[in-house]
Amino acid sequence: MHKEIVIVGLNHRTAPVEVRERVAFEQSILRDALRCLRALRSIQESAVLSTCNRVEIVAATSDKEGAFAEVKQFLLEQEAAVGESSLEDHLYAYAGKEAVRHLFRVAASLDSMVVGEPQILGQLKDYYVAAQEAGSIGTILHRLFHRSFTVAKRVRTETGIASRAVSIGSIAVELARRIFDTLEDKTVMLIGAGKMGHVVARQLKRGGVSSLMVTNRTFERAVEAAAEFEGNPIRFEEMPRYLKLADLVVGCAGVPEFLLKPDIVEETLKERKHQAMFFIDLGDRRNFDPRINAIADVYLYDIDDLQAVAQENLDGRAAEVAKAERIVDEEVTGFFGWLDSLDQVPTIVALRHRLEEIRRNEIEKSLRTSLKDLSEKERRAIDDMTSAMIGKILHGPISRLKKPSDEQDEALYIEALKKLFGLEDK
Amino acid sequence: MDILLLKGTALFYLLAMGTFFLYLILLKDTYARIGPIVLLIGFALHTAALGGQIAQNGFPAVTDLREALSIYSWLIVGIYLLVQLKYRLTVLGCFVAPLAFLMALAGVTFGSGAGELPPGLKTSWLYLHVTLAFLGNAVFALAFAVSLMYLVQESRLKSKRMTALYKLLPSLERLDRLNYVFLVWGFPLMTLGIVTGSLWAGVYWGTYWSWDPRQISSAITWLLYASLLQGRITGGWRGRRAATLTIVGFVVVLGYFLWGDSVFPSRHAGNFD
Repeated sequence: MHKEIVIVGLNHRTAPVEVRERVAFEQSILRDALRCLRALRSIQESAVLSTCNRVEIVAATSDKEGAFAEVKQFLLEQEAAVGESSLEDHLYAYAGKEAVRHLFRVAASLDSMVVGEPQILGQLKDYYVAAQEAGSIGTILHRLFHRSFTVAKRVRTETGIASRAVSIGSIAVELARRIFDTLEDKTVMLIGAGKMGHVVARQLKRGGVSSLMVTNRTFERAVEAAAEFEGNPIRFEEMPRYLKLADLVVGCAGVPEFLLKPDIVEETLKERKHQAMFFIDLGDRRNFDPRINAIADVYLYDIDDLQAVAQENLDGRAAEVAKAERIVDEEVTGFFGWLDSLDQVPTIVALRHRLEEIRRNEIEKSLRTSLKDLSEKERRAIDDMTSAMIGKILHGPISRLKKPSDEQDEALYIEALKKLFGLEDK
Repeated sequence: MDILLLKGTALFYLLAMGTFFLYLILLKDTYARIGPIVLLIGFALHTAALGGQIAQNGFPAVTDLREALSIYSWLIVGIYLLVQLKYRLTVLGCFVAPLAFLMALAGVTFGSGAGELPPGLKTSWLYLHVTLAFLGNAVFALAFAVSLMYLVQESRLKSKRMTALYKLLPSLERLDRLNYVFLVWGFPLMTLGIVTGSLWAGVYWGTYWSWDPRQISSAITWLLYASLLQGRITGGWRGRRAATLTIVGFVVVLGYFLWGDSVFPSRHAGNFD
């Protein structure tokens, strides 16, 4: 049965951060999520991609409509804990070429809010590994993800997109420099262990910040991170007490609710005699109450804000983007060449063809040399005998191929057949 | 001669304004370097014109708007050039140059109607009083400009809508610090201006305080700036609040400077009796 690739999800274009954070898959529930996906009947392979900008389910299916419905339902259930029902309006669903193109564009950072930013590729790889470990990925998605990594590499080396990308970290540093004259006498508080937060903290250090506090629910991790940044670890419970020392607060904790609310910040600001504070919220779910931005002398930027600023800083990339889109198109065509070849019928035909070719060659060779004295009748007997042999040899494999015990195996068998018999290069 | 020099001054202030605006639009550093130099040439011409006037008529009594504007703009440009040397605040030039040009233009356009001072007023008190009061006001004019820039930059950062302007403007911290520097310099100058004026009034009119409208408006501004300075030093009065108060204070001064005399007859407007 022909397999299709489907993607259902939402991203920064279709949903604001309030919605995205409701469906984001945290590391802790990722394995369970992948297990649930494996249990869905309509899909055979699946992977989850959940970053601060997107939540997407990539799947291989032989029943497109069923897969759309089941995966959508799966995402809605993920969100059910919060009890809102507008999620469906934010979802998109792609199948076939559209889906493949989408994933390639994501990997190549063409779908990012900041086109060309490099972080997405690493995140994609992480989620690929997670899916692999959970065993939810099969031949098709393996190939799809590996191709997407290749696309990303090509786009990075063959176009100028990446070099023009402005990372979130450098935008944060630039904004900090508009608030503070120098970063050298400023103190940063880093809350949580999120990847983006650490990237930004590193950039701030490079930007001149000398003093850094690190806090984490798990104190040991705070100690580790503090050692890495040459900062001071702080116990999570004591965070509000130390807040008044921080000029910049970077939040990247995985938390179900806001860590800081306006009242605490207002209190802190009074203690600081209204010295400006810059909050940078990089959590997949927001760490800081957005109302904090309304307080005088306090500036709060979440990931969307930073990316919007970054986007405004970019211009004149149209030509490079067009070049990258051409690479994606090329790769989509290439991938479908492969995917189509995974179809049973052409593979079986090619296999028969191949064996028939071998048989004919061998018979001809023998009849020309050692068996050249045989009569017409004997020649026909040899022909029939070898034909029957091939037929018998092929019967088992082909019937098993047509009725695989596990649908996930189908593509695997076809792929193996093609490799073993060299059917790919014709 | 004087009028020629003043015309030259106005021309160079205009050129400086053009250069600063080109910098704002094109963001080329060349213009940022040329702007202050053009302004400096204008300032030199201006100094020559004022010097000529003083040599001819003695120290100006600043009895009419023309003289007042001329001295005022000279002081503002002078202070700006000093600030530019120390803080490299080219954007401030974009505020100062047009202001200086308009004032110089007014100085050229308005006829010279210098009222004769009663002889009794011509004491060194007068010169001290006028110089200090004008210096103080000129510093507050720059504090006003810096505060305005603060509010613009702050609203950019709050609303997260970044235009090219936000890259030009200095950091909030620096603008706030400059607001403080100007306040610290402007406030004593203003205080001394009021004190010398009051002493002089005591000598000439026999009373230190005569509820003259200019005295009242000065007192209001003085109280405003005094509380701002006090708030800055002891409490957390900084940032937006400091900028807003600075602007309010300067608007009171400026408003009175431009229209006050025609609304409230004052001894500062030429009726010295």
